[in-house]
Amino acid sequence: MRVPVAWLRDYVPLEMPLDDLATRLSVSSAEVEGIERRGVPDQDGNLSRFLVGRVLEASKHPNADRLQLCVVDVGEGEPRQIVCGAWNFGAGATVAVALPGAVLADGLELEQRKVRGELSNGMILAEDEVALGTDHTGIMLLDEILEPGTPLADVLPIVDDVLLVEATGNRPDLLAIYGIAREVAALYDLELAPPAGVNPERTGDEGIDVQIEDYDGCPRYIGRLFRDVAIGPSPVWLKARLHAAGMRPISNVVDATNYAMLALGNPLHAFDFAVLRDGRIVVRRARPGEKLRTLDGVDRRLTPDDLLIADAERAVALAGIMGGEDSEIGESTTDVLLEAANFEPFTIFRSSERLRLRTEGSNRWEKGVDPYLAAPAATLATQLIVELAGARWVGDTDIQGDLPERPVIQFSPDRADRLIGIETSAEEQHAILGKLGFEVEGERVLVPTWRARDVTREVDVTEEVARFRLEDVPFTLPERRAMFGTLTREQQLRRRVEDVLVGLGFVESYTPSMLPDDETTWKLSEPITIELTALRTRLLPSLVEAARRNAEVGSRRVALFEIARVYLPAGELPDERLRVGGVAEGGFAYVKGVVETLYSALKAEPVFELTKDLLFHPGKLARTAAGPLGELHPSLLEGTWSAFELDLSTLLEASREPVTYVDVITFPPVRQDLAFAVLEEVAAGDLIDAAREAAGAELREMRPFDVYRGNQVAEGKKSIAFSVSFQSHERTLSDEDASGLREKIVEALARRFGAELRA
Amino acid sequence: MDAGALKNEALGAIEAASTPGELDELRVRYLGRKSELKQALRAVRDRETGMALNEARVAIEDAVDVRQSSLERAELDRNLTQDVVDVTLPGEELPLGGLHPITQVRRIVEDAFLGLGYEVRDDREVETVEYNFDKLAFAPTHSARSSRDTFFFDDTHVLRTETSPSQIHVLEEKAPPIYMVSIGRVYRRDAITATRYPIFHQFEGLAVDKSLTLADLKGTLLHVMRALYGPERRVRFRTHFFPFTEPSIEPDVSCGICGGEGCRTCKYSGWIEMGGAGMVDPRVFENVGLDPEEWSGFAFGCGLERAAQLRHDVPDIRVLWEGDLRALRQF
Repeated sequence: MRVPVAWLRDYVPLEMPLDDLATRLSVSSAEVEGIERRGVPDQDGNLSRFLVGRVLEASKHPNADRLQLCVVDVGEGEPRQIVCGAWNFGAGATVAVALPGAVLADGLELEQRKVRGELSNGMILAEDEVALGTDHTGIMLLDEILEPGTPLADVLPIVDDVLLVEATGNRPDLLAIYGIAREVAALYDLELAPPAGVNPERTGDEGIDVQIEDYDGCPRYIGRLFRDVAIGPSPVWLKARLHAAGMRPISNVVDATNYAMLALGNPLHAFDFAVLRDGRIVVRRARPGEKLRTLDGVDRRLTPDDLLIADAERAVALAGIMGGEDSEIGESTTDVLLEAANFEPFTIFRSSERLRLRTEGSNRWEKGVDPYLAAPAATLATQLIVELAGARWVGDTDIQGDLPERPVIQFSPDRADRLIGIETSAEEQHAILGKLGFEVEGERVLVPTWRARDVTREVDVTEEVARFRLEDVPFTLPERRAMFGTLTREQQLRRRVEDVLVGLGFVESYTPSMLPDDETTWKLSEPITIELTALRTRLLPSLVEAARRNAEVGSRRVALFEIARVYLPAGELPDERLRVGGVAEGGFAYVKGVVETLYSALKAEPVFELTKDLLFHPGKLARTAAGPLGELHPSLLEGTWSAFELDLSTLLEASREPVTYVDVITFPPVRQDLAFAVLEEVAAGDLIDAAREAAGAELREMRPFDVYRGNQVAEGKKSIAFSVSFQSHERTLSDEDASGLREKIVEALARRFGAELRA
Repeated sequence: MDAGALKNEALGAIEAASTPGELDELRVRYLGRKSELKQALRAVRDRETGMALNEARVAIEDAVDVRQSSLERAELDRNLTQDVVDVTLPGEELPLGGLHPITQVRRIVEDAFLGLGYEVRDDREVETVEYNFDKLAFAPTHSARSSRDTFFFDDTHVLRTETSPSQIHVLEEKAPPIYMVSIGRVYRRDAITATRYPIFHQFEGLAVDKSLTLADLKGTLLHVMRALYGPERRVRFRTHFFPFTEPSIEPDVSCGICGGEGCRTCKYSGWIEMGGAGMVDPRVFENVGLDPEEWSGFAFGCGLERAAQLRHDVPDIRVLWEGDLRALRQF
C-alpha cells in the first residue's frame, strides 16, 4: 500500500519526523518498507519558484506555428512573457508556473531563455514536470478561484513523501489511508478526523432493482444511481493523489471509486446504467459455461464457483474482481450505477486464483473487508461523483443479509501480562485498546467492526497490547524444568562423514531436489521450470552435472560431495532418505579408498559386492550395503571420474562405535609375505575370506600388495602377493604356531581355488 | 716431564684448533703412540707420576672429543647455510575440501540451540495439505495455499513451504515440555533470481512449556542471532501475522555492513529481516490435542541462505546452488 503523506495529513495531524513515524509503524502496525520522496526538490527556496498564474494573453508565437506566446500574471505586479508548447488553454486559464531558477522533478533547472527569438521568462507546467502524473499532452488547468501568486505547493502536492506500507494479511483495514491514519493516531495519541465524505443532497427517488441470490457470497449491496453524469478527466489534485498512490487516473467517475477505495479500503464499482438490461442488478453464481469479457478484454469462462454481478440477462461483472467490458464507464456514459458491496473472502479468493486474476479489489476482498465500511465508502464516492461530474444523485438502495455482530471478548490484563512477559497496568492496556477503537466494559472487550475477523479471542486482544509494548518487552530465557540437548548418534555421525570427506579433498555442494525427469511418481503439477520437475531418486545426476560444469570452466582436482535427500516412491508419501553422494576425478581404486576411509572413520567394515548400475563403468563398479561406487560411465564425463552414492542411515548402522579395545601391543605379531598363483577370474577378496575361515582369529591382517602377470606364472594365471600378520592377544606366537597357521591357509586356498604358493 | 705444563699446552692448542685436520695433528702429537705423553706413561715407575700423567691424558682426550664435536657441528652448520630453499615457493598441494556455507550456518544454529537445551530434528519435505496448512491454522484464503505460491503434486500433497509442520509432528509425537529446532529444505514457487531460489533452508524452533512468554522468545532469538552474527548485534522485533502464532512478530538484526547507519545491504533501514516468530496460537494446541490453558509456547523460523549470504557477503543466492568450485572453495 502506497500512502502519500499529504493525503494522510487529511485524517491525522503529523508533527513527528517521518523516519520516526516509519519506525513506529513498522514495529507496531505494518512494516514501512521505504519512504519515497516525490516531486520537486524542497531545498534552497525551490518551492518559492512555483506559483499559481493566470494567463492574461495567449497568441501564436510569431516565429513558430506550434508554440503559444503567453502573458501570465503570477502576482508580481508585472506579468511575465512565457513561451508554451501546449494548446489546451487560452487567455483566462489558471495555470501552474515555474520561474527561472526552479528545479523540476527530473532535476533540471529552468533558465530564462529565448525561444525562437522571443523571451520565455518561466514555464507553464504539465503534470509530469512536477511528478503529479505522467501526462504531457497539455498543461495543468487549475481551479479558477485560485489567486495568481499563490504558492503552488499550497494547492498541489508538488513535494510529497509516500510511505510504502506492507500490511499483513490479517489487516485489510490497513489497505486504506484512513486505516493507517487510525494507527498513527493511536500510536502518537493524536486526534483522528472522521472518515472523509458527506452525502450530498439526493435530487430524486428512483428505485434501484437489486436482488441478492447468494447472501453468503454477498452479504451487502449498496446501489446508488446518478443521472446527468458528465464523464471527463479528474481535477489535478485528485489525479495527483491517485498517481502518488500508484493508480492510473481514468475518468472522474472511475477515479472517484478508486479514490474512495484507497481512502477507506472498500473496493467500489461503477456501471454504465444505460447498458444494464431492465436496469436490474442480480448478484448470483455463474451458470456452468457462462462467459464474460472483463475490462482487460479477456473472455472469461466461468463456473458456479464464481460470483457474478448480472443484469436481467447476462453477467456484467466478476464480483469483487473486475468489471465487464460491456458495462464499462465510457465518455458517452450519462447514467451511472455505483456499487458499494461486501463480498465473502473465500469466494473471491477461489475465483481470483482459478482465473489468475489479481486486482486491487480482489486483494482487499480476499482478506475480508468490513461490511460496515460499504456505507461510508458509498458516501465518499457519491460526494465526489456529484462534485466532479456534475451528476445528480437520484436513487439509493442498501440490501443486507445477516451482517456479523461485533465480537465480545472476555479479556484479563493480568493474563495478557503473563503471556507478554512485562507488566502493563490495566489502565494503560485499556487506553491502548480504546485508541484502536475497542470498547472496554469491565472484563468485556467489544471489537470494532473493522477488526472483527481478526480479533475473535482473548489472545488476539493480547496481541493488540503486545504490539504497542513490543520495544519494552525484556529479553529473558525460559525457566526450563526439563529437556537437555544433544545431537543424536545419526546427527553426530553425519557431521563426521562431512568432515572426513572434507579432509579427503571433497568440497560440499548443494544441488536441487528436483530433476528434469526421474523414475518417480512424484512430479510437480505446476513446475516453474522443466529443470525442476521430478523429485529425485538419486543424487548423482545433479552432482555429475555440477562436476561437468566445473571441468568446463577449467577447475582442477574436482571433487564434490553432497548430503541430501532422495525421495523414493512408497505408499502415500515418499520414503525420504538421506544419501551421501560424491563425484571426483580418479579411478576405481581411488573411490574405493574414499569409501573404505569413510567406513573406517565410522568404525565400520564394508563388504563389497558386484552390482549393475547404468551410471557406472560396467566393469569398474561395486556396491556396499549402503550403495554403489565405481568409475563413472565414460559417456558421462571426459576423462576418468568416479562416484559413490551411499544411504546414510545404512552407513551409520554399520558403525561399531564405541569400539572394544584389542591388545595388539603385549604380544608381538609374526609377519610374512605369501604369494599365490591363481586363475585370472579368482578375486583377491575371495582368497582373503577363505584364509580367514581357515586360520581363524589369529590371522590378524591379510592385505594384497602386488598382482603379477608374466613369465613367472602360467598363461591365464596371475600371482597375488599378500602381506600377512599372525597375532594372538593371549601369548607370543612361536615359529611353529605361525607355520601351522600358514599351512592351514595354503591348504585351504589350494583346495578351494587351486592356488599354488609361490613364495 | 711436567704433566701439568704438558696438559695446559695441549688444551690451549686444542682449543685453538680451527679445522678437523689441525685437530687430528694435535691428537697425534699429544696422544699418539710416539707422543711425549705416551712415552712418559710407558716409562712411568711411580704411582704419583702415573696418576698425574693419566689425569693429563684423560683431560686431553676429553678436550679433543669436545673440540671435535664442536668443529663437526660448525661444519654441519656451515654446510646447511648453503642448503637453502625458496621459502616463497608454495607448499605441497594436499587435498582439502570444505563445507558448504549453509552447512556451516546449520552447525552454528545446531550448536547454539544445543547449548540452550534444544533437540535437533528434521521432518519430511513432502507434506500433506493437512500438516502444511490445516493443522497450522492457515485460513482457507491464505495466499500460501495458492498453487501460484506453493508446489503441489496433487490436491493434497505439497512440498513443504516452511519447516513449521515440524511443530505439529513433534507435538504429536511427544508430550511437553518440548524444546526443539528443525532444520531443512523448504520450497516456494518463486522464479530463480539473484535474491530468490525456489528451494531454500530454514530452521524452525519450538518451545512448549508452562508459562513461556513473549519476553522468553525475544531473549532466545537475541542469543541465536548473536551466535550467528556476532555479540555486538542488536535485535529488534516488529509486529507481524502468521496463522500459527499469536501474537506474531518478525525479528530484525542490526545491519553488520553499516552498523545500523543504513546502506545498500539493509535497504537504508539499518535493519535486516531475519524471519518470523510468535507465541504458539491456541488453535495449534487444540489441533494436536493440548490444552492452551495449560501450555504456552513460542515458535520461530529463519532462513539459512540469508544468514550464509550475510556472513560471507554473497550478493547472489544462485552462487549457493551452482556447485562452482571457484566460489565454494572460498568458504
